[in-house]
Amino acid sequence: MKYLSNEQIPDFFSSLQATHEVRLPIMLPDGTRCLGHPGDGTVALFGGALPAKPTAAFFPHEGPVFVAASEGFTEPSAPEKPLLVVGFTSRDLACLRFIDRFFAEGWRDDIYFRNRQGALVVGVSGYCGPGGASLALADGDCDFELVWDRTRWLVVSHTGAGSAIVEGLAETVSDGTLERLRKEMAVYEDENEKAIRRASELIRADRVPDTFWSEIGDRCIACTGCNLACPTCTCFGVQDWRYAGRVKRSRMWDSCQLDGFMREASGHNPLGTEGLRTRRRIHHKLAADPDRWGEISCFVCGRCDAVCPTGIGIFAVARELIERFGNI
Amino acid sequence: MSSSADGTTASLYVPVDCEIIAVSDLTPHEKLFRLRLKNGAPLGHLPGQFVQVSLLGWEEAPISVASSPTRTDYFEMGIRRTGSLTSAMHELTAGDLIGVRGPFGRPFELPKLRGHDLLLISGGCGLAPLRSLIHYCEDRPEEFGALTILYGAKSPGDVLFKDDFALWETSARFACSRTVDQVPEGDCYSGGVGLITSLIPPLEIDPHRTVAVLVGPPVMYRAVIAELKKKGLSSDRIVVSLERHMRCGVGKCGHCTIEHLYCCQDGPVFWLNEIEHLRGAL
Repeated sequence: MKYLSNEQIPDFFSSLQATHEVRLPIMLPDGTRCLGHPGDGTVALFGGALPAKPTAAFFPHEGPVFVAASEGFTEPSAPEKPLLVVGFTSRDLACLRFIDRFFAEGWRDDIYFRNRQGALVVGVSGYCGPGGASLALADGDCDFELVWDRTRWLVVSHTGAGSAIVEGLAETVSDGTLERLRKEMAVYEDENEKAIRRASELIRADRVPDTFWSEIGDRCIACTGCNLACPTCTCFGVQDWRYAGRVKRSRMWDSCQLDGFMREASGHNPLGTEGLRTRRRIHHKLAADPDRWGEISCFVCGRCDAVCPTGIGIFAVARELIERFGNI
Repeated sequence: MSSSADGTTASLYVPVDCEIIAVSDLTPHEKLFRLRLKNGAPLGHLPGQFVQVSLLGWEEAPISVASSPTRTDYFEMGIRRTGSLTSAMHELTAGDLIGVRGPFGRPFELPKLRGHDLLLISGGCGLAPLRSLIHYCEDRPEEFGALTILYGAKSPGDVLFKDDFALWETSARFACSRTVDQVPEGDCYSGGVGLITSLIPPLEIDPHRTVAVLVGPPVMYRAVIAELKKKGLSSDRIVVSLERHMRCGVGKCGHCTIEHLYCCQDGPVFWLNEIEHLRGAL
């Protein structure tokens, strides 16, 4: 087992820039944390899940599809060096696993895999959550994992690529710390996770009336924050940008909370009310995706509840839904 | 796939060049475009499929193919002027280039239609995708039983493919009926007037031999399906093609979902029993 002191972390990731395009959590001057390059700011692994979804490293809010000019189409190239993205919690990793599958199955989305293919993903866990709270161990779904045991980062590799990165670390420990942490993390029962599962059962059993969605929809101000924060929201729109002698086509995140999301050229709009759009947002995660993909696609990261200005993130809706319809 | 500037394999999202061979007016609002891929290859579609039409600077839109794959020298699309892309399309003429991606989507399931009497029902623009199947039937009449075409339009001025209809009406292979919802005062139209549902009760249908295929505006489906059920047609003998907003055509952009289904990939053609229980499908 390898480990790193917290002081060694910045240099360790800076050293990887020779072979990888490194993105890791940094602290901004205003105190918020986001993914950045080593040297962009102080490395900030502590504090739990990043406010913005780390999956954006592979599926950015806006990205080029192609540039068309007289000589033909030019597609964006893959990163010169493979991405190495640090800062995924176990829940973020579950989200990444889900969208990897989504973009791979059927027509393989080459734009997504241009960034994702060959990338290394680094998880964070242990007592590095907000205020020193625990974050569950990922125990997989990433190439290697940094586990904070309150004094050092245990470095746990899960893939061959991860092992190759960390093999250069000289120090080793085998004192049972990882096993102890795994047991300590396992005792925590997440109430939000239970609520999401129960809400899914109620929606799939058709126990939630339309009036409920209308009520929730009335509270929506269509800011789209929920969709933009959600790591498993993958809907996108397409826009052409016209310049002299060329056109750039790009795609950018879209939101099912917007009136025009499904409006057709004929004017027909299958999501023509706030209630229908709010139902779609929740139903898609808790009922449609289980039907299609075999699993709920909310992995309880909490971002939509954190950003929603009117209190209708998925946890809040799930709790209200259970309270009102759970015992009918 | 088109070739990119650096010669590598092009992306799923890069359109291929397509030449407009001819453009003709269908109505004051709709034009018929005859096209062929610039590389000379056939489009490779089946009736019921669509392509993502791409105009640089105007993004993309899903458009159904209105011609049969049995006619390999070209393919056709009937396009209504209804937004910026289709308005730009209407300015194009023979010799101009557009981009297409596809064909995409689940087609009409020809193996399951073969040997059956077909009741081909469309309303408004729905005749464009259905025309692909009608032309296929026209070219392979031995594969099907009795062929009946029903068509409804808002007004005489909105009737699409009048030339085709004139041929179908005189063909021994088809039984045709058409109607319009209303006739403007002073119009010399002399055909039937009334909703398309009025064309169904007079029909003699063997519900065990017949498959009905419906393509039309959302408002048409429930009423027509109700009439078909009165004739004894069960949901596994009714096919619908659904219109949805699509930005990618390949099941990724999320705009065309119907509960757990993606209209662009799981459809746009569905058997009614696959979707009638889904919220918002019809």
